[in-house]
Amino acid sequence: MGHAEAYTDPGTPQEQSRRTFMAQATIALGGVIGISLAIPLVTSLIPAADASNQEWSPLTADELATLKKATDSTPLKVTFSVHETNGYFGASDSDQFVWAVRVSDEEMQKARPELYAGSAKLPYPVVNMGFTVFSPLCPHLGCRYAYLEAQKKFLCPCHGSEYSLLGVHEAGPALRGLDPLPLRDYEGKVEISWILYQANTPAHVVIQVG
Amino acid sequence: MLTWLDQRTGIVSATKGFLTEDVPGGASYWYAFGSATVFAMILQIATGIFLTFYYSPSSSTAWESTKYIIEKVPAGHFVLSLHYWGASAMIALMAMHLLQVLLWGAYKKPRELQWIVGVILFIVTLVLGLTGYLLPWDLNALLASTVAIRIAGNAPILGPAVLHFLQGGDGITTLTINRFFGIHVWLMPAALVALVAAHLSIFRWNGPAGPPIDEAPKLKPGRFWPDQMFMDTVLSFGIFVLIVALSTFAPVPLDDKADPNNSTFVPYPAWYFMALYALVDLVGALPPALVQAASLFATIIGPTLLVVLLIVLPFVDRNPSRRLSRRPWVLGLTALTMVAAIGLSWYGQNNVVNGQLAHNIIGPGAASLPASTAATSSEAGPGNGTTTAAAGTTAVTTSGGGSNPGGSSAAGSAAGQATFTANCSGCHGATGQGQPGVFPPLDGNPVVVGDKTTVIHILDNGLNGKISVHGTTYNGVMPPWKGTLTNAQIAGVLTYIRSAWTNKGTPITEAEVAAASK
Repeated sequence: MGHAEAYTDPGTPQEQSRRTFMAQATIALGGVIGISLAIPLVTSLIPAADASNQEWSPLTADELATLKKATDSTPLKVTFSVHETNGYFGASDSDQFVWAVRVSDEEMQKARPELYAGSAKLPYPVVNMGFTVFSPLCPHLGCRYAYLEAQKKFLCPCHGSEYSLLGVHEAGPALRGLDPLPLRDYEGKVEISWILYQANTPAHVVIQVG
Repeated sequence: MLTWLDQRTGIVSATKGFLTEDVPGGASYWYAFGSATVFAMILQIATGIFLTFYYSPSSSTAWESTKYIIEKVPAGHFVLSLHYWGASAMIALMAMHLLQVLLWGAYKKPRELQWIVGVILFIVTLVLGLTGYLLPWDLNALLASTVAIRIAGNAPILGPAVLHFLQGGDGITTLTINRFFGIHVWLMPAALVALVAAHLSIFRWNGPAGPPIDEAPKLKPGRFWPDQMFMDTVLSFGIFVLIVALSTFAPVPLDDKADPNNSTFVPYPAWYFMALYALVDLVGALPPALVQAASLFATIIGPTLLVVLLIVLPFVDRNPSRRLSRRPWVLGLTALTMVAAIGLSWYGQNNVVNGQLAHNIIGPGAASLPASTAATSSEAGPGNGTTTAAAGTTAVTTSGGGSNPGGSSAAGSAAGQATFTANCSGCHGATGQGQPGVFPPLDGNPVVVGDKTTVIHILDNGLNGKISVHGTTYNGVMPPWKGTLTNAQIAGVLTYIRSAWTNKGTPITEAEVAAASK
């Protein structure tokens, strides 16, 4: 290697000491550049708190009327408007839906005792105003399930989990029944609140509220 | 000329040095899978670069730009299809390469690090496949990615943070598309190229391992150039011909635009995730007490364990012998894993997808939805190409109800298109391109533009079992539409599909439908 002639002579002790300094300084300066870059780069990937908010508006009179048409044998898809932030597109109104079923608290307690005690217990009334509203997300892995009138059950298209009208898990890989959401009548305004629970656990672990 | 270049750059000597390499025991097609994988990678990079000239990552442009690539860009559908099938080829070739190295014991000392880099390359490639799946932002992209993201979010401890990070916020939004774009187009390809460079450098340092025998020094060396290079090129060429053929005859489908409120579309995973998909589905058949543990195993522990097992393999299997007869454990486990993967994939493809079709998620058997649902989906505006009601239940109610009254205008192409968008495009695709292996294309399909009575009967009574279009077999389930759609609607949608896209068939009237349906 003709290029490496300089390395045959180890040099004076001063030169050696200088080289040690230069080698270490090179690594240190490179490290400073690396860290100074890595910190803002990684920071930029932390999602902003308001990147994807959604506000659920109270039900309008029409939407409330739809909700009230739900019976114990025919659940209804209640569609309402949400004010949703979609990253850099900002906020706009779009549709969201929940499934409403007419049921008494006693019936629900009988069908879904896990919602009233234990790790899947919910800290809000499961049944209010005579209805339960279910989150539209399948508690297995978050796909939206459909209602099959012919079979009187809810069925998820992704992995085939099946639920009864009261949200009891009947078949498929899901680990819990459908998730009821808080429904309340607040000074004449009927509100449904959004809660995202962790997928694929038997317990109700809150990931996000509102 | 070459001497002039070499004196100034050294490139000729470097190329000669690269091509001059002993191949122990002579060249073999067994060794060609690695270089064919590199070929597939180059194909992916080349086609991918050109796709970025048109593709635009955001929730309001991703699907639209993909549709534009398919419909408007000259040769765009072909280039996109090359990228789609090239991805499959790359993963298949990489799996073959991994299997060959595994069988031949080529991961053993001193090639442990080369093997580990290879395993990481395999993971990087799968991440590329997964992130690429979201980018078209159609219904399948959204649901498949929702599942993947939620599985990641379900991981112990770090799960929720990973979920938040992948989504770029609390939900799957336009930021998620940008994130996946950055990962798919920049981060992973950069990692891929760097790791391939490392993989090849280590390979040249150690030299090829040769066949699985213990007397390596006795092997007569063969030449890399041109002997091995020729075989590498022959395999790559064969793969290229296959990719071109698939891209021509089975171009990539695009489903309707992603709509978070669609709850009837049955998503289908890429074939290389089909085994995992089947595993997740099978978990549901276990006794309740086991489901939670099995579910965690199927989604997280199992795949992680497999990767860890592959990485530690050279350190666990330290017997220096590479003879097949002395390695029953590794070979047995490999065979078992392969049989399981193939069996699960087969189950996934047949039982899961078709089983859900039989569940009537798609089709008029599930049609009677409450009025509120119909009102919702009719807002979607059938026929505008971005309808939210893609397939099945909600859409059927819509078209039977308000938006297409009486069928009096159904012979008109617009009404036919509306019926098509609401009821048919979920399976056959917005552009009539179908879905490989499941739903046949309508565009360029001779049956569609052929005998009127035949197509009317198919629409009336549905279709079941294997059919063949342009030599490709399809095995989905087409539901009967008689009774769900009026004769006028059937006439309208048939007239539409017979004249849409590249089809040039004659119109079908309501009277003809009525006559043929008797």
